[in-house]
Amino acid sequence: MSQADAMLKRLPNDIGGLPAGPVRPVDHVLEPWEKRCHALADVLDFHKIINTEEKRRGVAALGAELDNVLSYYERWIAAFANILFQKGILTPEELAVKMQQVEARWACDVGA
Amino acid sequence: MQDSHPAAQSLISKPVWALGEEPAFRPGARVHVSSRSPIGHYRVPLYLRGKTGSVVSVIEPAGLNNEEEGFGRNAGGRRHYYRVGFEMSEVWAGYPGPVRDRLFIEVFETWLERA
Amino acid sequence: MFDHDHDHPHEPIVTAARPSLYEIMETAVRELLIERHLIGAHEIRRQIEVLDSRTPALGGAIVARAWIDPAFKARLLADGRGACEEFGISFYDDTSLIVLENTEAVHNLIVCTLCSCYPRPVLGLPPDWYKLKPYRARAIFEPRAVLAEFGTVIPAEVEVRVSDSTSMVRYLVLPRRPEGSDDFTEAELAALVTRDAMIGVVPVNLIDGASP
Repeated sequence: MSQADAMLKRLPNDIGGLPAGPVRPVDHVLEPWEKRCHALADVLDFHKIINTEEKRRGVAALGAELDNVLSYYERWIAAFANILFQKGILTPEELAVKMQQVEARWACDVGA
Repeated sequence: MQDSHPAAQSLISKPVWALGEEPAFRPGARVHVSSRSPIGHYRVPLYLRGKTGSVVSVIEPAGLNNEEEGFGRNAGGRRHYYRVGFEMSEVWAGYPGPVRDRLFIEVFETWLERA
Repeated sequence: MFDHDHDHPHEPIVTAARPSLYEIMETAVRELLIERHLIGAHEIRRQIEVLDSRTPALGGAIVARAWIDPAFKARLLADGRGACEEFGISFYDDTSLIVLENTEAVHNLIVCTLCSCYPRPVLGLPPDWYKLKPYRARAIFEPRAVLAEFGTVIPAEVEVRVSDSTSMVRYLVLPRRPEGSDDFTEAELAALVTRDAMIGVVPVNLIDGASP
């Protein structure tokens, strides 16, 4: 099996049995947006807008490179956006415009 | 399971269950995990492919195939998941711990065949 | 940073730092879905309350009850979800629960190698280390080495059982009741039970119980 074949057959999240360093008992208190992101995931699953399995697939579909550099909930929200585009629920333009509005609102709120 | 309530069963003729309703494997059955290689989405990790273990319990209720759920299918045929136990030495060649150590994982019915 | 030659006086900014790209994305996605009536703002608020209400204290209460009430323990081991529901713990994520009893002869450990499956209804959200590569990659092929990194040494005559959670089932470890706790009340027992003990990486001790 070529290296390319192996890469196709192993999802980036399928790491059981791979070599890895020592377990460090790290943890952090979730930031408010992270908790909202988790709640959003649950609500999306309740409505089957994005079910839990779609979320898992969407996170894996970000690929190993992004998987390495994004944090847990950063992966989730990026995956949600992609899945919502794929399902025709949102368009990239709609989300980008809304993100500009959200950012402008924040700047206005802090008087920057 | 169809034969689990003999008292009730005696009062009625045996109804036919839908395909997939009855678990294909019972606790104690020796099962072999398929060595196929789906791409796109799966929930049977690579380390388990082709390994042989024993069914510990049938997970109720039956569920959807999560490889399909991953692509947004929220309905369809249901099959059982099984809690399957494997000897560590079966899964990992050269497992360094005692031979009694074991690994347990839930596997969807279509991944299993009788060993 | 590079745009610092403006002339208005700097106000001390007491609100949060500039939101990250991801926080902005989260807000934008949520607001768009609410505007389209696909989800409700109240659903998000309610689910945050649900998440906040799920902590290891729930699991600790379950464990303490199992230690003092053999009939409850039998129900818990036979039907984890049903026994937790007796306590008013709902399984909002539609998972089932298998409770794994640690004994003199068996030590259980839970992991999710593929992602971060975790008994959230009874323990809340998992710690970061549970979601990171070292634990997920190694717990299934060298569990004893991983346990040793938590200071837990399992004698060779004790069977280590690793449960890898992948789909519908979640696991909760029922730790062994510590020696010397015979006089403890149910509440005192519950306070000894840590999150990590219910994942299976440490035993329950009389000395370092309390909050995780």
